Amino acid sequence: MTFPVKGLNAETGREPEELLARIRGLFGEGAVVDVRAHTAGLKEEVQYRDIWLSVDKGRFLEMIDVLAEFDFPMFYVMSGNDDGDVVTLYYHFGIFQCAGRGKRFGVAVSVALPKNDLVVPSLFSRIPGVEYSEREMREMLGITFDGLPNTALVFLPEDWDEAVKPWRRDETGPKPENVRELS
Amino acid sequence: MEKKYTIPIGPVHVGLKEPITAWLDLEGEKIVGATIRPGAIHRGIEFMARDRNPIQVIYLSERICGICSFAHVIAFLRAVEDAADYPVPVRAQYIRTLVLELERLHSHILWAGVACYSIGFDSAFHLGMVLREKVMDVLEALSGNRVNYGVATVGGVRWDITPEVAKAVGEMVKYYKAEFGAFYDVVTADPIAKARMRDVGVLTADEAVRYNAVGPTARASGIRCDIREMSPYEAYADFNVKAIVPQDYYGKAYGDVFDRFLVRVLEVQQSLNIVERVMDGLPEGEIVHEKNLNKVLATLKKAEGTGWGVIEAPRGDDTHVVHLKAGEENVNWWKVRAPTYANAVSWPLMFRNNELADAPLIINSIDPCISCMERMLVTDAAGGKKVVTKAELLEKSREKTRRLMQK
Repeated sequence: MTFPVKGLNAETGREPEELLARIRGLFGEGAVVDVRAHTAGLKEEVQYRDIWLSVDKGRFLEMIDVLAEFDFPMFYVMSGNDDGDVVTLYYHFGIFQCAGRGKRFGVAVSVALPKNDLVVPSLFSRIPGVEYSEREMREMLGITFDGLPNTALVFLPEDWDEAVKPWRRDETGPKPENVRELS
Repeated sequence: MEKKYTIPIGPVHVGLKEPITAWLDLEGEKIVGATIRPGAIHRGIEFMARDRNPIQVIYLSERICGICSFAHVIAFLRAVEDAADYPVPVRAQYIRTLVLELERLHSHILWAGVACYSIGFDSAFHLGMVLREKVMDVLEALSGNRVNYGVATVGGVRWDITPEVAKAVGEMVKYYKAEFGAFYDVVTADPIAKARMRDVGVLTADEAVRYNAVGPTARASGIRCDIREMSPYEAYADFNVKAIVPQDYYGKAYGDVFDRFLVRVLEVQQSLNIVERVMDGLPEGEIVHEKNLNKVLATLKKAEGTGWGVIEAPRGDDTHVVHLKAGEENVNWWKVRAPTYANAVSWPLMFRNNELADAPLIINSIDPCISCMERMLVTDAAGGKKVVTKAELLEKSREKTRRLMQK
């Protein structure tokens, strides 16, 4: 599926509180981890906000679809880390990117994947721009994106030993002997 | 039906001196499909950061790119300052904004020159090279460096605007306002340049949104998006920056190479105006929240959290995400998403139904920076190929010279 929008971004913005209320209603208080206001300039007024959300793996797509009710989510990148028992992914989006001065707000959605089931639904059919980021997280952290058509390496060399996941901190990560210190 | 060929453009010098490969499927001269393969210059910078503290990573982030080096530093610092809730004095915000705009001038003028080179317009290319010297002189006057400026630090900047630098900036603005018009003429008046760029490498507005194109590439497709306007940061909060889109000037956005050229050339004028505003409104005050680096590091060591910095770099929005862990001196993890990372996903769309001869121009049109996009864990790969270090490469070169001299 793709999102039921024409593809162009919304030209009028809405307040982040509306999104927060919708998220809290659907996913509970715990889904909103943090709301950060950023000030700048001589008057030190708030210029924009970043919203940090968290969701269970099972309801991940549902949350992304809620974001899309507001505006086509501009996908920036996925960041992530090997947190021991889980690998946490953070999807970074911008909402109301084209809705006028100061209207945009950032939305980071975190989803924790247990190490014995590192699978998450791909967003490729909804937002094709996620391709490189999903391929990068596959090769660097060993995540499987269910529904991603092209799973070729993107940054690592063709002859890379795919058992080694460069960003993992466990036995699948790079060993000290793999790393060559540059002079 | 014409015979089909698959031609690799790259991995060396794909229209400009950047390492990436575009595998183009051709029917005769027409491009019918494209597969992009990055990976030639991945340096593992994010992995390297795990062994460095945030102050050291500033200088690592500066080396991601040779052109938008300052944009990476500011995006990284904003992520650190977000994670640690660290303040930046307003004078420092203004100086950061000034250097960001000087860098945009440098990047756009260089690109305009290189774009002319890719269509065989060498006199305009040389003009571009001459023009960009001026802004590099100003950057050198401010920081002592022409590429990696070492200007910013956590909670502010390291160098102040002296009267000499202010004078150099004023002269530069005057110089560009008088001299840069030639590039504008290239876009609007030269029929050959227009013929080479109009309707070439089209990316529609709908595609630009769905494929998350950013910066001048997205704006050329008519997407009214500029982080300086939509989420003002630093001194942009005090200036009413407006996203530059072709429909405001020509009634319609074609989303082609011509529009990408137009947007960048107009953004040079916009940058000059912002530079003037910064210099006129430069507030008095401290340039850094805390000068003592040990104190800064001690504060950052106590911080726990993930920070996110998004800024409008010359090629589009530059995103950095940083995680600091309480009690740890080093950056716990770091993710860099340079604008080319986002724009390269749209390349296959831009190639569709274009001529092979236009491929280098289309590649150039997003102003790609592959070093930005990639960041390699240097290891001995399993297949026997080897990545050589700079020192080894130098030694191999010397060996070859010795061999040649013996003959």
